[in-house]
Amino acid sequence: MVRVKNRYIVVRIAPKNTSLSSLYVKEQVLAKCILNHVEKYYGVYGVGLLEHGFRVKYCNDRTKIAILRCSHHSYKFVTSILPLMTSVGDVPAKFNTIYTGATIMQCNKFIIKHQQNFLDRMVGQVVSAKERQEMIKRVIEFDTS
Amino acid sequence: MNDYIYLDVELKLKEDSSAVLTPAYFQGSIERSLAEFFGEIGGQTELELLKFDCTQKRGILKVPKEFSSKTKAAITLIGRFQDIPCHFAIVKTSDKPLEL
Repeated sequence: MVRVKNRYIVVRIAPKNTSLSSLYVKEQVLAKCILNHVEKYYGVYGVGLLEHGFRVKYCNDRTKIAILRCSHHSYKFVTSILPLMTSVGDVPAKFNTIYTGATIMQCNKFIIKHQQNFLDRMVGQVVSAKERQEMIKRVIEFDTS
Repeated sequence: MNDYIYLDVELKLKEDSSAVLTPAYFQGSIERSLAEFFGEIGGQTELELLKFDCTQKRGILKVPKEFSSKTKAAITLIGRFQDIPCHFAIVKTSDKPLEL
Protein backbone atom coordinates (compact mmCIF):
# COMPACT_ATOMS: atom_id res chain seq x y z
CA MET A 1 0.00 0.00 0.00
CA VAL A 2 1.43 3.34 -1.00
CA ARG A 3 1.09 6.12 1.50
CA VAL A 4 0.36 9.70 0.45
CA LYS A 5 3.19 11.80 1.80
CA ASN A 6 2.56 15.33 2.98
CA ARG A 7 4.63 18.16 4.31
CA TYR A 8 3.40 20.60 6.90
CA ILE A 9 4.88 24.09 6.84
CA VAL A 10 4.66 26.29 9.91
CA VAL A 11 4.77 29.98 9.03
CA ARG A 12 4.79 33.05 11.18
CA ILE A 13 3.01 35.98 9.58
CA ALA A 14 4.70 39.22 10.58
CA PRO A 15 2.49 42.21 9.73
CA LYS A 16 4.18 45.49 8.82
CA ASN A 17 2.13 47.28 11.43
CA THR A 18 3.49 45.56 14.53
CA SER A 19 0.88 47.11 16.81
CA LEU A 20 -1.80 44.97 15.17
CA SER A 21 -3.05 42.61 17.89
CA SER A 22 -5.03 40.40 15.53
CA LEU A 23 -4.69 39.63 11.82
CA TYR A 24 -8.24 39.42 10.50
CA VAL A 25 -7.28 36.93 7.83
CA LYS A 26 -9.39 33.92 7.03
CA GLU A 27 -7.92 30.57 6.03
CA GLN A 28 -9.43 30.76 2.54
CA VAL A 29 -7.92 34.21 1.94
CA LEU A 30 -4.49 32.95 2.98
CA ALA A 31 -4.77 29.87 0.75
CA LYS A 32 -5.87 31.94 -2.25
CA CYS A 33 -3.08 34.44 -1.69
CA ILE A 34 -0.44 31.68 -1.65
CA LEU A 35 -1.89 29.98 -4.75
CA ASN A 36 -1.89 33.32 -6.61
CA HIS A 37 1.76 33.83 -5.80
CA VAL A 38 2.67 30.29 -6.88
CA GLU A 39 0.88 30.95 -10.17
CA LYS A 40 2.83 34.17 -10.62
CA TYR A 41 6.23 32.59 -9.99
CA TYR A 42 5.75 28.98 -11.17
CA GLY A 43 2.88 29.36 -13.64
CA VAL A 44 -0.10 27.07 -14.15
CA TYR A 45 2.25 24.08 -13.95
CA GLY A 46 3.16 24.99 -10.37
CA VAL A 47 -0.44 25.55 -9.34
CA GLY A 48 -1.48 22.28 -10.94
CA LEU A 49 1.10 20.37 -8.93
CA LEU A 50 0.39 22.19 -5.70
CA GLU A 51 -3.42 22.25 -5.78
CA HIS A 52 -3.61 18.53 -5.15
CA GLY A 53 -3.33 18.26 -1.41
CA PHE A 54 -2.82 21.93 -0.55
CA ARG A 55 -4.73 23.20 2.47
CA VAL A 56 -4.39 25.74 5.24
CA LYS A 57 -4.80 23.47 8.26
CA TYR A 58 -4.62 26.06 10.98
CA CYS A 59 -4.38 29.82 11.20
CA ASN A 60 -4.25 31.66 14.51
CA ASP A 61 -5.10 35.36 14.24
CA ARG A 62 -3.64 36.29 17.60
CA THR A 63 -0.36 34.40 17.58
CA LYS A 64 -0.10 34.93 13.78
CA ILE A 65 1.00 31.37 13.14
CA ALA A 66 -0.35 29.19 10.35
CA ILE A 67 0.14 25.58 9.27
CA LEU A 68 0.02 24.78 5.56
CA ARG A 69 -0.31 21.27 4.23
CA CYS A 70 1.22 20.41 0.83
CA SER A 71 2.05 17.21 -0.93
CA HIS A 72 5.60 15.92 -0.52
CA HIS A 73 6.67 16.65 -4.12
CA SER A 74 5.39 20.22 -4.30
CA TYR A 75 6.18 21.79 -0.94
CA LYS A 76 9.28 23.51 -2.33
CA PHE A 77 7.06 25.68 -4.51
CA VAL A 78 5.51 27.08 -1.33
CA THR A 79 8.65 27.42 0.77
CA SER A 80 10.44 29.24 -2.04
CA ILE A 81 7.73 31.82 -2.67
CA LEU A 82 6.99 32.60 1.00
CA PRO A 83 9.92 35.06 1.30
CA LEU A 84 8.67 36.84 -1.83
CA MET A 85 5.20 37.49 -0.44
CA THR A 86 4.61 40.99 0.86
CA SER A 87 0.94 40.98 1.78
CA VAL A 88 -1.89 38.73 2.83
CA GLY A 89 -5.34 39.96 1.82
CA ASP A 90 -5.11 43.72 2.38
CA VAL A 91 -2.56 43.54 5.20
CA PRO A 92 1.11 44.19 4.30
CA ALA A 93 3.02 41.38 5.95
CA LYS A 94 6.10 39.19 5.78
CA PHE A 95 6.09 35.39 5.95
CA ASN A 96 8.72 33.58 7.98
CA THR A 97 8.95 29.81 7.60
CA ILE A 98 9.80 28.53 11.05
CA TYR A 99 9.42 24.78 10.63
CA THR A 100 8.75 22.11 8.02
CA GLY A 101 7.59 18.73 9.23
CA ALA A 102 6.23 15.48 7.89
CA THR A 103 3.39 15.10 10.42
CA ILE A 104 1.06 17.62 11.98
CA MET A 105 1.92 16.27 15.45
CA GLN A 106 5.56 17.30 15.01
CA CYS A 107 4.36 20.77 13.99
CA ASN A 108 2.14 20.98 17.06
CA LYS A 109 5.05 20.01 19.30
CA PHE A 110 7.23 22.62 17.64
CA ILE A 111 4.62 25.38 17.96
CA ILE A 112 4.07 24.63 21.66
CA LYS A 113 7.82 24.80 22.25
CA HIS A 114 8.03 27.97 20.21
CA GLN A 115 5.21 29.60 22.20
CA GLN A 116 6.81 28.52 25.44
CA ASN A 117 10.05 30.22 24.44
CA PHE A 118 8.12 33.32 23.44
CA LEU A 119 6.36 33.37 26.82
CA ASP A 120 9.62 32.95 28.71
CA ARG A 121 11.01 35.97 26.96
CA MET A 122 7.91 38.16 27.21
CA VAL A 123 6.50 37.41 30.68
CA GLY A 124 9.35 39.18 32.42
CA GLN A 125 8.62 42.41 30.59
CA VAL A 126 4.95 42.62 31.64
CA VAL A 127 4.50 44.48 34.92
CA SER A 128 0.92 43.91 36.10
CA ALA A 129 -0.23 40.42 37.07
CA LYS A 130 -3.54 40.76 35.29
CA GLU A 131 -1.92 41.64 31.99
CA ARG A 132 0.46 38.74 32.44
CA GLN A 133 -2.42 36.31 32.95
CA GLU A 134 -4.13 37.68 29.84
CA MET A 135 -1.04 37.28 27.75
CA ILE A 136 -0.38 33.72 28.88
CA LYS A 137 -3.98 32.83 28.08
CA ARG A 138 -3.72 34.36 24.63
CA VAL A 139 -0.49 32.65 23.69
CA ILE A 140 -1.29 29.22 25.08
CA GLU A 141 -4.69 29.20 23.35
CA PHE A 142 -3.79 26.66 20.69
CA ASP A 143 -6.07 24.07 19.25
CA THR A 144 -5.84 22.11 16.04
CA SER A 145 -9.26 21.97 14.57
CA MET B 1 30.59 19.41 -23.33
CA ASN B 2 27.72 20.64 -25.44
CA ASP B 3 25.17 21.98 -22.98
CA TYR B 4 22.65 23.16 -25.54
CA ILE B 5 20.00 21.53 -27.64
CA TYR B 6 18.75 22.79 -30.99
CA LEU B 7 15.10 22.63 -32.01
CA ASP B 8 13.74 22.99 -35.51
CA VAL B 9 10.29 24.49 -34.98
CA GLU B 10 7.59 25.09 -37.55
CA LEU B 11 4.54 27.28 -37.06
CA LYS B 12 1.31 26.12 -38.65
CA LEU B 13 -1.43 28.74 -38.80
CA LYS B 14 -5.08 28.03 -39.49
CA GLU B 15 -5.28 30.96 -41.90
CA ASP B 16 -2.34 32.88 -43.30
CA SER B 17 -3.99 36.19 -44.15
CA SER B 18 -3.46 38.68 -41.31
CA ALA B 19 -0.50 37.35 -39.34
CA VAL B 20 2.62 39.50 -39.18
CA LEU B 21 5.51 37.08 -38.93
CA THR B 22 8.86 38.37 -37.72
CA PRO B 23 11.62 36.59 -35.76
CA ALA B 24 10.83 38.74 -32.72
CA TYR B 25 7.11 37.84 -32.74
CA PHE B 26 7.99 34.16 -33.21
CA GLN B 27 10.39 34.13 -30.26
CA GLY B 28 8.06 36.34 -28.21
CA SER B 29 5.17 33.91 -28.50
CA ILE B 30 7.36 31.05 -27.23
CA GLU B 31 8.71 33.15 -24.36
CA ARG B 32 5.20 34.23 -23.39
CA SER B 33 4.04 30.64 -23.35
CA LEU B 34 6.99 29.67 -21.14
CA ALA B 35 6.15 32.47 -18.70
CA GLU B 36 2.48 31.50 -18.63
CA PHE B 37 3.00 27.80 -18.03
CA PHE B 38 6.09 27.87 -15.83
CA GLY B 39 5.90 31.36 -14.31
CA GLU B 40 8.46 34.06 -13.62
CA ILE B 41 10.93 31.75 -11.89
CA GLY B 42 10.24 28.42 -13.58
CA GLY B 43 10.07 29.84 -17.10
CA GLN B 44 13.33 31.78 -17.16
CA THR B 45 15.87 30.52 -19.65
CA GLU B 46 18.28 31.70 -22.32
CA LEU B 47 16.25 31.08 -25.45
CA GLU B 48 17.92 32.05 -28.69
CA LEU B 49 16.48 32.08 -32.21
CA LEU B 50 19.43 31.25 -34.48
CA LYS B 51 17.72 31.24 -37.83
CA PHE B 52 14.27 32.10 -39.08
CA ASP B 53 12.63 31.65 -42.43
CA CYS B 54 9.50 33.79 -42.88
CA THR B 55 8.21 32.04 -45.99
CA GLN B 56 8.42 28.54 -44.50
CA LYS B 57 7.50 29.83 -40.99
CA ARG B 58 10.32 27.78 -39.62
CA GLY B 59 13.10 28.60 -37.18
CA ILE B 60 15.96 27.03 -35.27
CA LEU B 61 16.01 27.58 -31.49
CA LYS B 62 18.89 27.06 -29.08
CA VAL B 63 18.06 26.19 -25.46
CA PRO B 64 20.04 24.77 -22.52
CA LYS B 65 19.80 20.98 -22.33
CA GLU B 66 18.26 20.84 -18.85
CA PHE B 67 15.54 23.20 -20.01
CA SER B 68 14.64 21.41 -23.24
CA SER B 69 11.69 19.44 -21.86
CA LYS B 70 10.06 22.57 -20.44
CA THR B 71 10.61 24.45 -23.70
CA LYS B 72 9.19 21.60 -25.77
CA ALA B 73 6.12 21.46 -23.51
CA ALA B 74 5.57 25.21 -23.73
CA ILE B 75 5.97 25.18 -27.52
CA THR B 76 3.48 22.33 -27.90
CA LEU B 77 0.89 24.05 -25.71
CA ILE B 78 0.74 27.28 -27.74
CA GLY B 79 -2.71 27.52 -29.30
CA ARG B 80 -2.85 31.03 -30.69
CA PHE B 81 -0.50 33.30 -32.61
CA GLN B 82 -1.73 36.91 -32.84
CA ASP B 83 -5.26 35.66 -32.12
CA ILE B 84 -5.15 33.18 -34.98
CA PRO B 85 -5.56 29.51 -34.00
CA CYS B 86 -2.33 27.72 -34.65
CA HIS B 87 0.01 24.97 -33.54
CA PHE B 88 3.75 24.63 -33.36
CA ALA B 89 5.39 21.49 -34.63
CA ILE B 90 8.84 20.46 -33.45
CA VAL B 91 10.20 18.95 -36.66
CA LYS B 92 13.59 17.84 -35.38
CA THR B 93 15.81 18.13 -32.34
CA SER B 94 19.56 17.76 -32.23
CA ASP B 95 22.68 18.25 -30.12
CA LYS B 96 24.53 19.87 -33.01
CA PRO B 97 23.22 22.80 -35.06
CA LEU B 98 24.74 21.49 -38.29
CA GLU B 99 22.53 18.41 -38.27
CA LEU B 100 19.37 20.47 -38.74
